[in-house]
Amino acid sequence: MNDVEPIRLEQVSAGYGRRMVLEGLDLRLQQGTITAIVGPNGSGKSTVIRAMSRLLPARSGVVFLDGRDIRNFGSRNIARLVSVLPQSPSSPPGLTVRELVELGRFPHTGLFGRHGAEGKLAVESALTLTGLSGFAERPLDELSGGERQRAWIALALAQGANTLLLDEPTTFLDVRHQFEVLDLVASLCASGDMTVVLVLHDLLHAANYADRVVVVDSGRIVADGAPSAVLNVELMRTVFGVAAKIFTDPESGRMVCLPIGPDRS
Amino acid sequence: MTSTRSFVALMVLGCIASLALFILHLGLGTVWIPPDRVIEVLLDGLTDHTDRTIVWDLRMPRAILGLLVGGMLGLSGALLQVVMRNRLAEPGLTGVSTGGILAAVLFLGGVWGLPQPGRLLPFVVLVGALAGGILVLLVSSKRGGIDPLRLILTAVIVNAILGSLTAIVMLRSNYALGNILSWLIGSLHGRVWDDVWLALPWAAVAIPAGLLAARAANVLQLDDESGRALGLPLQPARVALFGLAGVLAAGAVTVSGAIPFVGLMAPNAARAVAGADARRVLPLAALIGCLLLLAADLVAQSFSIKPPIPSSAYRVGLPVGAVMAILGAPLLIYLIRRSTR
Repeated sequence: MNDVEPIRLEQVSAGYGRRMVLEGLDLRLQQGTITAIVGPNGSGKSTVIRAMSRLLPARSGVVFLDGRDIRNFGSRNIARLVSVLPQSPSSPPGLTVRELVELGRFPHTGLFGRHGAEGKLAVESALTLTGLSGFAERPLDELSGGERQRAWIALALAQGANTLLLDEPTTFLDVRHQFEVLDLVASLCASGDMTVVLVLHDLLHAANYADRVVVVDSGRIVADGAPSAVLNVELMRTVFGVAAKIFTDPESGRMVCLPIGPDRS
Repeated sequence: MTSTRSFVALMVLGCIASLALFILHLGLGTVWIPPDRVIEVLLDGLTDHTDRTIVWDLRMPRAILGLLVGGMLGLSGALLQVVMRNRLAEPGLTGVSTGGILAAVLFLGGVWGLPQPGRLLPFVVLVGALAGGILVLLVSSKRGGIDPLRLILTAVIVNAILGSLTAIVMLRSNYALGNILSWLIGSLHGRVWDDVWLALPWAAVAIPAGLLAARAANVLQLDDESGRALGLPLQPARVALFGLAGVLAAGAVTVSGAIPFVGLMAPNAARAVAGADARRVLPLAALIGCLLLLAADLVAQSFSIKPPIPSSAYRVGLPVGAVMAILGAPLLIYLIRRSTR
């Protein structure tokens, strides 16, 4: 395993205007792993991803990208190393899947360049990996929510970055499509080259797909570790304010987190 | 639009159609010269002297300007629709037309006590046009950034102010009113080679630059967060694209006045045909602009009216701007109805 972390946050604080959202965050991503960031609404989950990719520059502290201070990178250089899929991305009506995915090559070809053979290959393999080859010429607005989300992931893949930051990629999808997207992400990581950070609402998904769960509350990391070690009844009560049962389903071997109701203790 | 091949075929077809309209345009006028004769004159400059003079000296500048102005307005509108994220944006929103016209009115109205207009007028219009564009940009930028919605709103307001000032100045003087009117409506009448040389440099620089901006335009069409995640500095890109749209519109206004609708219809038609990818929409919008303006000018040339001005003894053709508005309005209404529920 490479000893340089794809992304490392050191004492990072970040926020909007006068409001600080993250305060003194330390976080090291391990290459080839899936990290889930969970936490209540407004806890700063999305801001962690934005700070990691310099979409929101850190107010203090340092973000390291491949071991180097992210402030020394040009925007396009960051985009070659880190792909970000925002929470609710939008594309102009009529844009086809292929046209969207080709935009992933923007950081490589620049303003006036053309796609080389390498770019064409990256686009094709992104379409294949996401199972969208058959949909490539279809307009995005004619696809189902799951297919559309896969198209956006394909855009991020075509970027050719080794680190993928996905902000709530399953939020607007039905259960089946949630699994579809997460299975896709898991398969990307299987080779060990890709490092993925998922911001998730659903703790079940975090428990079953992530190698590591980072719990953020009020801009601080309150728990960090393997899903089975982090997710427990006490955490559900203190961070999410709910009474919950956590157990492993004997048949599927999957972890189940069952919220019972608001914590009244 | 499915394949690159069919898009290329479409562009080639459009170019052939433009060429056909161009030749037809050269033949049309008080003296009808059939297309085959026009081609003969174009290919061999030494044929009959009168036809050669009519085609090359009298009609060619206007036809070339029809192509140039149409293409510039079509591309300008397409760029602006990207920057403003709005399908109803058009070149006039840059503030360039109203700025140019206000300058023209001030100049022709003699407010500054300058001598007769003469050949100076286009330069005055150009300065006013660029000033109008810069004014819109300055008023709408906040902490160095442009927000698409704020840009549209401030553009509408600045345009309203410049338009009101124009009206006030016009009321103060009925001096050369006819001349001012043709700038307001937009016309290609009586354009000569000097006008072509005036528009050509702008077109030669801004049209290729605008077409090359397609990739950045595509990224700008996404949401802000996605665009930045792809490494595009959004604000500089927006300012650059707005600047290109403004320069294109300014070049057009300088030689033809404020021709309406071309810059609105061409990009919308291009999107209807080719989808959303700017690499296709931008060149197609320019081409459709050429076709629309040449076609409208053909109609404008075919009908003439005798203005009820005592001093005017001869008939004049309709201004192309008026034809464009009348023919374009139904299409525009259709587009608006289709784009809203």
